[in-house]
Parts: sequence; C-alpha cells; structure tokens
Amino acid sequence: MLLSLPALHLQTSEYHPLFQLPHGRLGPWCSPTGSPAPLSCETGCGEGSWILVCRLLVPTQVSLLSMEEDIDTRKINNSFLRDHSYATEADIISTVEFNHTGELLATGDKGGRVVIFQREQESKNQVHRRGEYNVYSTFQSHEPEFDYLKSLEIEEKINKIRWLPQQNAAYFLLSTNDKTVKLWKVSERDKRPEGYNLKDEEGRLRDPATITTLRVPVLRPMDLMVEATPRRVFANAHTYHINSISVNSDYETYMSADDLRINLWNFEITNQSFNIVDIKPANMEELTEVITAAEFHPHHCNSFVYSSSKGTIRLCDMRASALCDRHSKFFEEPEDPSNRSFFSEIISSISDVKFSHSGRYIMTRDYLTVKVWDLNMENRPIETYQVHDYLRSKLCSLYENDCIFDKFECVWNGSDSVIMTGSYNNFFRMFDRNTKRDVTLEASRENSKPRAILKPRKVCVGGKRRKDEISVDSLDFSKKILHTAWHPSENIIAVAATNNLYIFQDKVN
Amino acid sequence: MEFKLEAHRIVSISLGKIYNSRVQRGGIKLHKNLLVSLVLRSARQVYLSDPCPGLYLAGPAGSPAVPPPQPGEPAAGPPAGWGEPPPPAAGAAWPEIEPQPERPADPAAPRAGDAEPGAPMTGAGETVRGGEVEAAEAAWRRVEGPCEAAEGGAGGPAGGSDGFPEGLREARRHCGCPPGAADRPGPLGACPRVDCCCAPRPAEDEPPAPPAVGPRKRGAAGVGGGPAPGSSPLKKPRRNSEEQSGGAAEEEEEEMETGNVANLISIFGSSFSGLLRKSPGGGREEGEGEESGPEAAEPGQICCDKPVLRDINPWSTAIVAF
Repeated sequence: MLLSLPALHLQTSEYHPLFQLPHGRLGPWCSPTGSPAPLSCETGCGEGSWILVCRLLVPTQVSLLSMEEDIDTRKINNSFLRDHSYATEADIISTVEFNHTGELLATGDKGGRVVIFQREQESKNQVHRRGEYNVYSTFQSHEPEFDYLKSLEIEEKINKIRWLPQQNAAYFLLSTNDKTVKLWKVSERDKRPEGYNLKDEEGRLRDPATITTLRVPVLRPMDLMVEATPRRVFANAHTYHINSISVNSDYETYMSADDLRINLWNFEITNQSFNIVDIKPANMEELTEVITAAEFHPHHCNSFVYSSSKGTIRLCDMRASALCDRHSKFFEEPEDPSNRSFFSEIISSISDVKFSHSGRYIMTRDYLTVKVWDLNMENRPIETYQVHDYLRSKLCSLYENDCIFDKFECVWNGSDSVIMTGSYNNFFRMFDRNTKRDVTLEASRENSKPRAILKPRKVCVGGKRRKDEISVDSLDFSKKILHTAWHPSENIIAVAATNNLYIFQDKVN
Repeated sequence: MEFKLEAHRIVSISLGKIYNSRVQRGGIKLHKNLLVSLVLRSARQVYLSDPCPGLYLAGPAGSPAVPPPQPGEPAAGPPAGWGEPPPPAAGAAWPEIEPQPERPADPAAPRAGDAEPGAPMTGAGETVRGGEVEAAEAAWRRVEGPCEAAEGGAGGPAGGSDGFPEGLREARRHCGCPPGAADRPGPLGACPRVDCCCAPRPAEDEPPAPPAVGPRKRGAAGVGGGPAPGSSPLKKPRRNSEEQSGGAAEEEEEEMETGNVANLISIFGSSFSGLLRKSPGGGREEGEGEESGPEAAEPGQICCDKPVLRDINPWSTAIVAF
C-alpha cells in the first residue's frame, strides 16, 4: 500500500541512542566538587540526585520573533523570560519532545506555537553552562480554525510533536492539533546572496536603464537565522480529535490517530492517507470505547499498538491486512472487582502508551498507575507502579473538578531502566525498574535556583504528617504535570508545568 | 440510601458536564463524553438497584443497603429507583417504560403541553414551559458553575458558578433545595421533593414542543438546573427534524430513573439519538455523534424514532445525541 517513492535512507546507527549509550563519555557536568563525573544511563533514579538546569518560559506572543528578523534567536535570554509572572492560557505547554539526539527540545503550547530549544554547546569558557537549553526557534504552527459546516471551532492547541530523524542539516518535525498535521522544516541560514543585478540591497527593483554592468551575486556570511517553514500540511483526514502521531521506523510513513480511526500517511503525499484502524461502530449508540493513544514499534515498521479508553492495548500488524481492525495481540488486565466504583471505567482509561527503546515492552499510563507490559504476555502487565494511589478515595471530587479526565503521559529513559510520569501539585515520579525504588520530585519555582538539588517529596496519606510531607488535602490540583520528556541517551529530563518548562539533569557524584 | 444520593448527585454532575461540553471551545470531546456517559450509567444502575420502593429521595431513608452497582442493567423495575411519582410520562417518546409499580401516574399519557398530573406531587409542579424555562435557566446556571468552570460554560445558562458549589453540597440534603431555590422564579421555586436533591431539572423547553416537560423539574438544587434555557440555545443548531423527537422525548416522565434526569435528557432533546432506544443487548453506550459531520445526520434521524424503552443506559445513548 505504500507508493514507490525514493526511499529516505535509513539513519545510521550513530543516531540510534539505544545503541550508543555514552558509556565512555565524560562531561564536565555540574558537580559540586568541580571534578568531572561520568554520566551514564545506567544510573538509576535512586543513586543520583537531580538538579535543576534551567527553567524556561515559553516566549509569550509579545516577544515572539518572526522568522524574517535577522536576529540570532538563540540569543534570546532566558533571564528576561523568567521574570514574567503572568501566564495566559495560550502559554500552557501541551507537549514536550526531545529529538533523536537530544540536542533539540520542542514544546508546543495551547496557543498553537512551537518553541524549539537547543542545547548549549560545550565550551571551555563556560563549562557550567553545558547542558542548558536556550531558545532556538519559535514559530506559530497552527492557528485556530472554524469549521463552518459543523459550526465548530478547531483549537490551535498543539497536541503532539514528533521529530523525524535528522537526514541533513535541517531538522524536521511533525506537529498536530485536533485536525491537522503539519511537517515543519527548521533550518539555519547563515549566508545570504548579495550583488543582485536587478534589485538593490534592500530588494527594490532597479531601473533597468541604470544597469550598466553585470555581476554575479555572491554568498556572504550573515548573522545566523533559524527559520521554520511548513513543508507539508496533512489536513481533512480526521473527523474526530487527533490524539497521537507516530513516525514509523521506515521514516517514510507516519500515522495519526483520532478517537475512532488511525490513518497512515506517506510524508510526500498530503492529499491521501490510508485508514488502517477504524473502530467506529455502524451505530454510534453502540460505541463503547475510543482510541486514546497509538505508537509505531521502534524497529518493526509493520507493527504498532493503540490503547483504548477501556484499558486495553492492541498490537496490530499491517502485513496481516490493509485494515487492522483485528489485532494480533490484545493486552488487558482483568479488573479487580474490589476496586469497583462509579469511576472505575474512567480511571482505567489509558492516557498514554509508549514502546520501550528496545521494542520489547510497552508502558501504559492510566489515571492512577503506570504499567509495563511484555509484548509476549497479554494477560497482565509485568509491572505495575502506583503513581498516586492516595487519590483513589477522592475520585468523586476529582470527577467534579474534571481532574479525573487529565491525560498524563509517561516516558522511558534511554536504557529503559527508569520510567517517569507526572502527578499533581507539580510532582513527578520516577520508578526504577531494576531496584524497584521510586522517587517523587517537585518542579516548582521555589526550588528553581539553578543547580539546586531536588529534594524528594512525600505525600502523607493519613495519620500523622511528618515535617516536609504534604497531606493529600493540600495538594494543588491545578498544578499538574502532564507532559515530560527524557533525553534519549542522557539523564536529562524536561518537565512541563503549566507554562514553565523545567530541565533537570542527573548529578552523579 | 446514601448510595442513591451519591448516585443522584453524580448523575447531576455528569449531565452538567455533558451540557457544558457542548459549548466548549474545540467542539465536543468524544472521549470525555463517553466516560461521562459510563459514569451516568453506573450511577443509574446504583440508583435503580437501590431498593427503595416508592421512596422519595427526599423522604426518610428506609432503604436497606444498596447493592453494588450491577454491571448488567437490571431493569430495576420494582425499586423504581427514584421513587418519585412521575407524572404521566408523555408516552410519545417512551412507549414502554420499565415497570414502575409505584408509579402513580400512567406513563403512557402524552402530556402535550398539559400540566403534569404529577405536578402537585413533584412539587415543582410547573409544567408551564415559560416559567420553567427561566427557572430551569436559573437552576441550570447553578449547576454549571463548578463543574465546568474551566470550560466557560454556555453563554446563557452558563453564568453562575457561584451557586453551584452550594448546590452540590446540598445535594445530599433531603429535598435538598439549594438555598437559592427560593430565588428561582416560578415553578422551580418549589422544591420538588422527589428528586430535588440536585437533580438536574430536565427543564425541557423545547421551544417548538409545547409539551409540559416541566414535570420533573425538581428544584434542581442548583445542579441540574434548567437545561431548558440552555437547551434552547443548544437546540439552535439542531436540525428541525430533531425538534419533533425532542419534544416527544421530553414528554415521557422520568421513567424510573431520575425523572429530572430524564427530563434533562429530553431537554437535550433530539440530540439524544439513542436516548429512547431500547437496547436488547443492554450496555450500549454512545459517544456523542455530534462531532462528526457525516455522522451528524445519524443522531437526528435516530432521534425521530419511536422512543424505545429506555433500557439500561438511557443517558449513555443520550450523550451521542450531541
């Protein structure tokens, strides 16, 4: 079903973070003693401690730079942005994603903007600044639209961003809102042509009568400019709200999933897509579940998984048939009848599904837990981690204030040994799969002195509250961490808390 | 008994969410509405399975322990969950209602515009649409506030987030008319005992359909409030064809379930395609079908069907109606 087009050549292994763990890489990461410490993925969350690298605010509309300005956007100083105390709803970060090397970090927000941060280059002069991320490019990806036929407004909120592996000097990413996926090219320009014959330096046309000589335009260096251009727009293929996009490992295709359907696209073709999953019943009244997330297998370009609102995951093989309504594997854990309540169905709805880097496991996040499944075992997960079980008795209140519908995401670290997910009160949790230890950390302004070490937090569920513990009732449910990202090869994490982006790294003594 | 109250409250909240989802920016979210419909179904089951025959919610609780919600839909006939004396349901939309022994009135009688026979019983009594509308509106305003504070609520009815919290708190009161109940004009002022605890008033005010929806307008203790006013604006985008079914739907009195809830559904009216559908298989849920363009036609047409006995998930289907 794929059209024969010149295949994009697969990226070489050097781009696969999985196969190139920085074992031997020594970096002068911040360490209080000043001596370089190796940073490796094998460090679990329990052994090291996490420090804040930088806190970034998404540039607000006021300070948004257009692409035409010849300003080095990388020089946008975070300090000025940090002082902004106001936060409009448009600034709320709605997705965070590292690229395949970890050099770039993209965020999307509710206002339809994408902000790309780039890691500070290592330099001898500013050793301690290695690891900081600065704004690299900002652009408006999606605008609000109005569907006149249905009298519906289409939100410009960026639901997901996915990077393509780098093939040349430019970077490509997919960004999507509820209805439209766009492929953006982010490239640097550091030369410009000068010496046109028919135009003068400002671009105005010259009077041909005044031209007496001809010259060849030459390229001259200019200040670095990063420009983002939309290369493809994949529109009008989804009736329901898009919740996921996933780039296939063949780098030729990708899929977009909405509530009831999944479409397969070729990057080169924007006016067609193949529908590979359709769970819409003939009679909408018989609808019982919707698709909540979908992802391609990291290595097998024919396999993908999608999760449902009923807490099930289906693995499909595109080789089996064109329409993958019949799954190859079906992952479901039987419900525990003792936990049944009005809200059992809501809390079992899976909000995120992620393949491990190895491709052997999948991780799913529902409202209260994170589960790791082995692809070879369908009847139950191999690991279940309680994220915030103390909320189980508060489901009714959470239902009233709509928090029970929050869609938390989950991420693997580069070596698949640690998983991370967010919670409320700006807490986020990490679980080490090997040592079975877990930690709760907080991303807050109070702790946001650079290089400050994060202190583990604890929520006390009842009885005596010790000092430093927070009681369940004093949790702030408006501060939720839904989106996090983990660097593909290093212990650097990005945590989005409303309109703030926190970047932490592991400090190993 | 408290299970029933809890269920009632949850039903009210859920309906409020569904209502508000219609005015949310970005269109109706299928997933969220599906989940809300599941909650509604569970709450309904609990409510129905709670053996309190003939007991008004407001009355003294005499019911034994409530059985846990049954997954299958028990056509909980006898218990007549709400036990309210449903005014004769406008049979139009709901031909067969689950047996409700305590039903005082014969559900079959279509009440096209006539005062609810059960009006006195319901206390709300007002079957006058006009009055209801405003009352409903006021009540509706209350329910919207807290639930959907974030969503901005609908234009008209959406106003008040103030009243809601108290309304909710009072949900548990017997005959819990919210403090503001008195403020409400007309019929709503009275606290219909039956479901008054935060029962969303199905103030169906189908503008085109004159039938006395009113019956169950419980004093919507600030919760369910009148979808009526809301429903009007809501209905605007609806196709005309739906009006009819909407009106019909409104008729039926609250079946066994929360009458007011049922009314609320009627208010959503035609939008609720499957609302009146009888599902032999039970457990049918629908996401809202409103979203999709092509699918938009379906709800409307389904709506016009004869109301089938509402079975297990009336609201579930109702939600599709969007």
